[in-house]
Amino acid sequence: MSDCRAIQELIPWYVAGSLSPEERQRVAGHLLECEACREELAVVLNLQLASQAAFSEIERPSPEVWQGIRERTQKDRTARLDLGSFLLGFTMGARVRGGRVPMRADLRVLGRKVPLFNTERGGLK
Amino acid sequence: MSTDKHLIEQVAEGDEMAFRTLYDRYSERTLRYVYTLLRNRHLAEDVVQDTMVAVWRGAGRFAGRSKVSTWIFGIARNKALDLLRREKRGERVPDTPLVSPDPAPGIQRDERVKAALQTLSEDHREVVFLTFYEHLSYAEIGRLLGVPEGTVKSRMFHAKKKLAEALA
Repeated sequence: MSDCRAIQELIPWYVAGSLSPEERQRVAGHLLECEACREELAVVLNLQLASQAAFSEIERPSPEVWQGIRERTQKDRTARLDLGSFLLGFTMGARVRGGRVPMRADLRVLGRKVPLFNTERGGLK
Repeated sequence: MSTDKHLIEQVAEGDEMAFRTLYDRYSERTLRYVYTLLRNRHLAEDVVQDTMVAVWRGAGRFAGRSKVSTWIFGIARNKALDLLRREKRGERVPDTPLVSPDPAPGIQRDERVKAALQTLSEDHREVVFLTFYEHLSYAEIGRLLGVPEGTVKSRMFHAKKKLAEALA
């Protein structure tokens, strides 16, 4: 079937459950009619199970990792100004983090936080 | 239970309890991801530590455009790739097996696939991990890796072919 190549490309994400509803429906519909793609599905299901087993064997980080993080982050300091009540208030915070001093301020209106400014907002890193 | 995004907001405000919860939620997943790239436990743990320190210091910059998991994985990936680049400049990253040398008996299929996973390139193994273990969509993987969706599908196609040979 001419669509098989495109469907087989999507089967790993069909098996993983991360396709969009439309793509999922398209793959499911094709699988009902195509034996070759059902065979591919069986292979990929086995691959998923075996790979998950392999990745799961990697054990959680040792306690020293958290200890190291604590040592490095406890040097950071935070200062905070909080005025008003839960329903209406103002919060401003500044901190020393990794040699920088980011600041942010929020209004509290009826218990909801409304950001005023945040000097850190930007990219991923 | 707090959502990841709520936890990040709390971490941005300096909440250490929220940071510990976030660490408990992500340290193991991040280690497994980084390990697929580095294949060295000691270095992978160093990268997890650097990543979580960066999360603590940069939580205020998380803009919510992506999932928290892909944001954290993005940080971890950059740090792991920096390490690999240093290795290529002459600092050695010792290699260790991806899986336990003393596997449970009687699961031959899994063992063959585990062995085949070790023979994949980092690029291919990474896509297998993010698809089958983290259940990311190919679009999310493309954004995380900074490559077109077609490249993600192509890497999976080649990885799958090699892994399927191990099952044959």
